[in-house]
Amino acid sequence: MIEVTDLVYEYPTARALDGVSLKVAPQTITALVGPNGAGKTTLLRCLAALEVPYAGRVTIDGLDTATHPREIHARLGYLPDFYGLYDSLTVRRCLVHAARAHGIAPDAAGGAAEKAASRVGLSDRMEKHAGELSRGLRQRLAIGQTIVHEPRVLLLDEPAAGLDPQARRDLSTLLVSLKDADMTLVVSSHILAELEDYCSEMIIIEDGRIAGGKAVKVRDVERPRYLLEIATARSDLKEFLSGRAGLDVIEADEHHALFTFTRNPGARAKLVRDLVGAGFEVSSFGESTKALEDTYFAQVKRS
Amino acid sequence: MNPEFQRNLWLELTPRRMILMVVLLALVFFATAVTTGADHALIGTLPDTAEFLFYAIVVVWGTRNAATAVVGEIRDRTWDTQLLSAIGPGAMTWGKLFGSTIYNWFGGAICLGVLLSDTLAHHGPVQAGIDLVYYLAVGAISQAAALLASLIAVRRRSAHTRLDVFLYQVVGMIAGAAVWSIWSAADPAGSIITHKPASDFIVWWGRSLDSRGFLLASLAVFTGWTLVACYREMRLELKMRNGSLTWLAFVVFIGVYVAGFDAWLNDDKALHALDTVVLRLGLALATYAVLTYLMVILEPKDRVHYRWLGEQLGAGRLGAFWNGLQAWMVAYGAALVVAVALIARLYSQTRIDELALIAAGLGFLTRDVAIFVAMRGRQRRGGDLAAIGILIALYWLAPAIVGGLGLENLLMAFFPKTTAPIWLSPAVAWAEGIATAALAISRVAIRNSPAGRSEPSRA
Repeated sequence: MIEVTDLVYEYPTARALDGVSLKVAPQTITALVGPNGAGKTTLLRCLAALEVPYAGRVTIDGLDTATHPREIHARLGYLPDFYGLYDSLTVRRCLVHAARAHGIAPDAAGGAAEKAASRVGLSDRMEKHAGELSRGLRQRLAIGQTIVHEPRVLLLDEPAAGLDPQARRDLSTLLVSLKDADMTLVVSSHILAELEDYCSEMIIIEDGRIAGGKAVKVRDVERPRYLLEIATARSDLKEFLSGRAGLDVIEADEHHALFTFTRNPGARAKLVRDLVGAGFEVSSFGESTKALEDTYFAQVKRS
Repeated sequence: MNPEFQRNLWLELTPRRMILMVVLLALVFFATAVTTGADHALIGTLPDTAEFLFYAIVVVWGTRNAATAVVGEIRDRTWDTQLLSAIGPGAMTWGKLFGSTIYNWFGGAICLGVLLSDTLAHHGPVQAGIDLVYYLAVGAISQAAALLASLIAVRRRSAHTRLDVFLYQVVGMIAGAAVWSIWSAADPAGSIITHKPASDFIVWWGRSLDSRGFLLASLAVFTGWTLVACYREMRLELKMRNGSLTWLAFVVFIGVYVAGFDAWLNDDKALHALDTVVLRLGLALATYAVLTYLMVILEPKDRVHYRWLGEQLGAGRLGAFWNGLQAWMVAYGAALVVAVALIARLYSQTRIDELALIAAGLGFLTRDVAIFVAMRGRQRRGGDLAAIGILIALYWLAPAIVGGLGLENLLMAFFPKTTAPIWLSPAVAWAEGIATAALAISRVAIRNSPAGRSEPSRA
């Protein structure tokens, strides 16, 4: 759905993106993470055809951003990190205007606005002015405007910034429902915890490049990540685990190991038995709850 | 309906605001009507009041609204949303231009109704029609100029203060004032500019043309070019690419248009010995030089874009290079072409002194343009002001000091001057031009190292 090839973007005094190549599959939620100033927002703006690359190619749904910027603008949704709303308009008019601006016919714009409002939970506030809404509701309205034309690709830059825990949870639920409705989402953030709930892939940007060279899978239903801890240090822990079929070590030291392994209970029970049999004092073994964070730091260490 | 226009209608033309405008204007007109001829008259006659209010509402206030149409959206952070819409550049331009000023046109229409009904009663439908075209044009051209100024500024920087917006408004008001002044030059009652009785005819390209018809046609054409300029700037804002052909067409048009006024120079005794072709080429060259200075100041001098242009040229991608040229580059190229033609003409007439002055002038133009590029290449903020400061020093301060010290022979290092030997002035000017251009290119080519970066948060 999204394909980037050797993308270079330059500011007058620095190269912000340096040979970035990536692919994003349809109907996925991909996290775009990295330190402040790494190039996340620049990459998102290039994907949204809001910046013209110095070199390289970006295609969205088969269209090149350099030659078809307006066609791409029409078919994607982009929520910038700092967005504004027309405070003097009602929620209904904000959504109808967004629908009309995205090419929805006048007689269908009202229906599209109602549907978007329903998706973001604003149906009961249609006649309120945007300026009267709370921060969380403004965020919902902004997302509503972004999805009113049912874009195939949705780009969100720091969407949960400043939201309270309940609003963050609502946002997660909404994003997953949008993915299930056949949208492809790319969500940028430098706060890993907020991406944990809904992202399946992760792209790490560091110094204008993709760490590890490609997107990494964060969550694999068949092969989850496990975290193992042993009570007494053993320098051969990594070697022992690496030698086992079907087990891939992500990182390991003398006390801990993070690895992917089958979800099969029998295979997991056998692994624990073998560890204990080999003299490892297993103090903890379970599925990692910080998959995204673990993957991020493992990948950054490697690169 | 254009969604951008529709949004502006929702915001600007609310029933309460419309009633307020109607009531206020009605009160002013009523007060004027009942006091006309009295000692305590408000402004003057009813048509005078209507005309004054039209200029105040449509030109002064309208240019303010046009100047904030895009800048206000950037300030309120809604512009990215607008950019990511399906609205085309043409629809976005007229939606912004006439949408943001629709309330002004509503008030202006009431004023025009009063004004033109008086003209209709006293001067007939033809005069009323001509006046209608003039008032619509003066409003549209001033508002379009303000929008254009703001769009050009948007490409140069993202932050805009109230003072900046005021400056864009001033550009629009100056455009309106220029239209009004030129129009009044052909007023049968007498010219406001020259304080002379208006001429019924204008000599252009050797032909005598009816002055009001010529000015009306010129007004229509320049209104069209202003709207085209807005459209092209909007295309750039929407991340679409503009080729160089439209700008080249304007450059050719303005050169031909201005060159046609050679008859105006016949009164100048210093130019009496020059033939018509030289005068016309000289007018075109002067126009292109002014256009080059204007555009090099206005356009963003983006080092990344210049590096990209260099790469296209180096790789032999001439189509991409041509389409990526900035407006000042095309104007500078046109100046070079016309200058070569002028030099050839002067050479054929063995007018070597004038030839040397033209060649030196081109060298200094090259130097000055390179100064703007070099200064902007070094510092993002204040580069243009620094370049203007350097030019003031080169054209005014340094010559004053050199002249004061009695070193008149060195003045040819600062501006075109007849020298002995004759080639010295052009040689010095071009040496300065080439050296400054080399400095500018080296500054454009240098890439700075990336800034430091911080770690991500785990929270």
